[in-house]
Order: sequence, then structure tokens, then C-alpha cells
Amino acid sequence: MTARTLALASVLAAGATFAAAYVVLLPRLSEPPAAPVPPAAPAEDVEARKITAHLFFVAEDGLRLVSIERDVVFGEDTVEQARRILEAQLEPAPPPYASAIPPGTTLRRVFVTDRGEAFVDVSAEVRSAHPGGSLNELFTTYTIVNALTANLPAVTAVQILIDGKEVDSLAGHLDLRRPLQQNDRLVAGPPQ
Amino acid sequence: MYSTVVTCAHRTCIAALALWTLTPPVLAAVSAGQDAAPSSPLTLVTAGARTPLPTTMVAGREMIAIEDLAAHFPLAIRGETVADSVRVSYRDRAILLTPDQPLVSVDGRLVSLPAPVIRAGRRLLVPVEFIDRAFGLLYEEPIDLRKPSRLLIVGALRVPRVTVRYEPLADDTLRVLVDIAPATGHAIVQEPKRLLMHLEADALDVTLPPPPPQNLLESVRVLDADTIELVTGSRFASYRSSMLASTPASSRVLVELLSTAPAVSSAAAPSPRPAAADPPPFFSAPRPLISTVVIDPGHGGSESGARGASGAATEKDLTLAVARQLKHAIEARYGIRVLQTRDDDRHVGLDERAAYANNAKADLFISLHANASPRPGVRGAEVFYLELDRYGDEARRRARLDGTTLPAFGSAGREIELVPWDLAQAQHVDRSAVLARMVEEQLGSRVEVSRRGVQQGPLRVLQGVNMPAVLIEMGYLTNREQEAALASGAYQAALVQAITDAVETFRDYLGGGKAPATGRGAAAPAAPGWIARR
Repeated sequence: MTARTLALASVLAAGATFAAAYVVLLPRLSEPPAAPVPPAAPAEDVEARKITAHLFFVAEDGLRLVSIERDVVFGEDTVEQARRILEAQLEPAPPPYASAIPPGTTLRRVFVTDRGEAFVDVSAEVRSAHPGGSLNELFTTYTIVNALTANLPAVTAVQILIDGKEVDSLAGHLDLRRPLQQNDRLVAGPPQ
Repeated sequence: MYSTVVTCAHRTCIAALALWTLTPPVLAAVSAGQDAAPSSPLTLVTAGARTPLPTTMVAGREMIAIEDLAAHFPLAIRGETVADSVRVSYRDRAILLTPDQPLVSVDGRLVSLPAPVIRAGRRLLVPVEFIDRAFGLLYEEPIDLRKPSRLLIVGALRVPRVTVRYEPLADDTLRVLVDIAPATGHAIVQEPKRLLMHLEADALDVTLPPPPPQNLLESVRVLDADTIELVTGSRFASYRSSMLASTPASSRVLVELLSTAPAVSSAAAPSPRPAAADPPPFFSAPRPLISTVVIDPGHGGSESGARGASGAATEKDLTLAVARQLKHAIEARYGIRVLQTRDDDRHVGLDERAAYANNAKADLFISLHANASPRPGVRGAEVFYLELDRYGDEARRRARLDGTTLPAFGSAGREIELVPWDLAQAQHVDRSAVLARMVEEQLGSRVEVSRRGVQQGPLRVLQGVNMPAVLIEMGYLTNREQEAALASGAYQAALVQAITDAVETFRDYLGGGKAPATGRGAAAPAAPGWIARR
């Protein structure tokens, strides 16, 4: 083994040590000091944490939305909580209510801007499977809008996207080109 | 006794009617209140025929016997076992009448009358308004009751209103002013001792005061269905006529009757009397309050809209069918210009529809739709107008503050108002709300209206419309009964009649009339605590 070989081995060993230190130690140095207690909760405990949210469904008389309290999985931040609420909202309605969201509709993504405007991206079924009608389209739209604005103080308005794109309308009646605010009149229902 | 009749409810109507008419007259207490007959009978105007229809006055209310109606319409009448009621059937549809009740059931839907149904001996009397309010819902052709002119018009007929006035001038000339609404083609023919004014109409709805005693004109009368006869007097020598004003809504024809009397010297002639201010004709010329209406049949082409519960009817077809009838009805009744955003089965973008109305400088925009619900039991018509969210409110505030205008090239002093394209409706929302309530009110008298009768929403097709605008959901296609009704001629005719009436009431409102009170389903401002939580 020559001196040249030894020198090369030393350089490689030093490089490997430096790389290991960079990968392993540097992130720890940049993190805030870890809280000594309590130890990190197990993953299943996080899943088990719930909040009570108000979800919206079509009433039996078909002329209003009703707000129903349901347990929804806790989300670590506004976007995650919005996603959890919407996933619960997209599930079938509990009897005797009906869902205003067409079957097969899935949630793609959720964004929330600094101005409190949420963008909810849903799959194309929300339009292709929609039965139409102005009141029905109001119900579908404000089911999604109210689900976020009624439960998340940080969300003041909601714009619906379909397959990642802005849309003019959902079923040919409502203007979906900008964020919509919460609508309580649909929930209050007509005069009896 | 009549009670023997009502026990045979399930026999044929002919047998029941025979028994009914054979029973001894039971003069009810109402007989005492029965007044004299009105000054003239109603005139039933159909294509090619005018038939008197007798009516009677009871306690100041004009009533008509169902039996007299049955003489002119194919009605079947029979007694019912329940509540002493009588069933009046037309084809497979029926009206249930109960004596002493101001409500009748038309195919299961209640319709109110201005006075109760009355049994007078063997006859059943109903207010004359029954004809268009209740029977009009069943009948296959439009029915227009014009009480002031004593006309009952059945079918899509041209029956213009003609009003004649006189202005005697000092130089022995008689000016005869003839207002015709809607504008109708005419021709004047001179014959010995008379002038004949022929109008292109099926019948005339005329107001003819007696002429002044000037010996130029002895009398004026309706000669035939479409002709007015002016019988000239002994001093008549010649005439000249001219068109003073004409819009689609109305026209004013001047007929001057000239005398043979020698002209009075100008020195001795008294100054001519200033012409009286002309009262406005029906849609006041020269600038009518409503001169153009745009009807927007919703959806079309690949965009079918809502589908019927049975799958037979589609929203795009129904909206087009009703739009065509509505166009015809408004044109025939008011003579104003009516345009459609589509007149065939094709896709038209929402902005394109608004642009069409704006370019036509329309005064009203009426979008027709049919509703759908995940609940098949939901039914009834609804009327929408635009809801301004915070963006719209801000736009309206800004528009008021800015008032932005541009000078128009080549026209000094004229400016073009700039209105943000998608917020044009913001400045008309208040009047659109009035229009929506009027439409709901008229619909409510003819078809079933949902408890959400008037609503607001961020409706895309209304946002860019620069005029009062409403969207009418005519009924729920997802309800089987409503699907069948929406496809029927009778229901469509009732819708058309209601919307046509609403156009007139809105015209009156624009002319200074009163707005209706907030409707039962009118959107009220949201208030805390309204959320129904469970």
C-alpha cells in the first residue's frame, strides 16, 4: 500500500464522516429544542382525535339544508382540517336526509389563501352527475361552502374548482368564478 | 231534493245532471241578494265568432252559471258525495266546487275566487273570475277575461284595445284620435255617408264615447269584428288621416273631418282652443316604459338541463316551448318587441345570453328554467333574482361613486356609461326584486308555487344583464306529477298567462304604481340564530 493510497483512503474516510454528520446531525441542530415531555403520541391516537363539525344535508321537505353535528377527524392545520371536514361531507347522508352532492364526487385538493379564501377542488362527477335545477345547485354549492365557513373561522369564502380548473358554473345556473360566502338562508328554510 | 243528487256521485255525469236539473228549485238565501243583470252580457270571442254569455249580479259581484259555461265549453258536471260539492270536468281534469266556499280545487290545487260559489235553485253560480283563474288552468287554449270591455277572449286572437277621442276645432274641423294598442295595421275607406276603419284584428276591444254635436260626425260604432264605422253628419265634406305616433306597443291615428262651412276670417276667429294633453295610450307613446322583452329559454344543445322523473321531458325542450308561447302572448297582448336568446335546440353561453339582451337594449329579461331536487316530492314554481355578495355590493358602491363615462367619438356632448361587464345587474337588483315578487304573485294565482317562492342566488345568467331580470323555475321535473303538468298545454298556458300578467303589473309599477308587499317566499336578510341546527 503506498502513501498515495493511504492518503486517498483518508480523504474518503473524512468525506464519509462529514456526510454522515451533515445528514444525521445538522437537521437536529436546526430543529427547535425537543420538548422533553410528553413523548410523541402514537399514530393511532392522532387518528382518534375528533372535532365536532356541522355538516349540511338536504332536509326531508327538500326546501332547505339542515346542519347536523358529526364527529370529524382532527386536522393539524386549517388545510388538513378542511380536507377532513369535506371528506366527511362527501359521505352519504344519514337518514332521513339527502346529500346535495352528486354520488361519485371525490375531493381532490384543498388550498387556503392568506385572505381566508379556500379553494376546493372536486372531481368532475360534481357536474356530470348533477341532476340540475337552480335550488339544487344552490344546495350543492353551499353544502361545500358552508361546510368550511361554518366550521373554520379562518375560512371566510370558498371557491369550487372542478378537476383542478376554475369553472363558470356547476349546472348552468350559479356563478362559481369567485369565492362565495356562507349562506344561512338556505339553512333557515322557507317560511312555514 | 238536491241531496238525492249528491248521493249518486259515481253514476255518469249525464244522469246526475239530469237529476240535478229535475229537482225543484231550492231558492237559497242568496236569491234575496240577487241583483239585476249587468248592463250587458259578456261576449265570448273565439276565432270567427262572438257569442253573448249571460251573467248575473249577486251582492254587487258579477256571477256566471256553470251551466251557461257548459253550453259553450265541453264540460261535464256532476254532484259529489262529499260536502255537497260539484265536480266540473274537462277531458280528464276536474274542478271541485263547494257552495258557499270561495276556494275551488283545480286538479287538487286550491284556487281562490273573489266571492264564494253560490247555489241558486238548480244553478251553480261562480264569480266570472272563475273562468280565467280556475277553468283557464284546465283549458287547452289561452283565456283572457277583460271585464271592463265585457270580453272573454278564448284562443290566441288579435284583439287590440281601441280608444276613440274627439277634439272639435274652431275652424269647423273635428279631430278624431284613435289609439290602438298594440299597434295594428288599419285602412280607412270612404263610402257614402260613412267612413269605415278596418283593422287587422280578430276582434276589437273598443271604447267609443258619443261624438260632439257638430254635425260632422253623427255616430261611431263597431260594425263587424274588425271594423269601426264613423257615420258622417250633414256638414261633412271630406277627411284626411295621418299616423301621429307608432310604436309596437301602440299607435295613434288622427282622422280629421272637414266641413263645408265657410272659413271664418282670421280677424274674427277666436283663438283655437289649446289641444288637451293627450292621455298616454296603453303602453305610453312615444317612449313606452317597456318596449323590448328578452326571453331566455334555459339550457339547449348538448346541455339538456334537468331531466324528468320518467325521463321523458328535458328542461331544454320545455323552456323553449314555453318561451315561444310567452313571446307570442306578450307580442299579441302588448304589441311590444319580444326576442329570444335561442329559438332552436342549440347551446348558448351564459354571457352570450346576457350580451344579447344588452345589445337589444331590452327593458326586461326573463330566463325560463325547470327545477330538480334530490327529493322527488318537492314541487312548485320558484322565482329567482340576483344576490349580491360582497363583491357585488362593493361594485355597486363603486359604480355610484365613480359614475365612469367615456366621450363618444363623433358626437360632442354624448357620453357612454361604463358598466363593469359581469356586474351590470347590480344597479337593477332592487327592481328585479319587485319584478320577482310580481311574477311570484301572478304564478301563485294560476299554478302551484313552492314555499321558497322568491329566492336570491349568485345566478350567472343574470349578473351581466343591464336591466331588471328574473329567472323562473317553472316547476320540478323530478316530481312525476309536475313533469306531466309541465309537458301539458294547460300548465304551459297558465304559466304564460301569469308571466304575461306580471309584465303588465311591472309596467304599471315602472309608471309609478305600487310595488307588491314582500312575498311569502321572499328572501329576507339573514339574521343570526336562523341556522337550524340538529
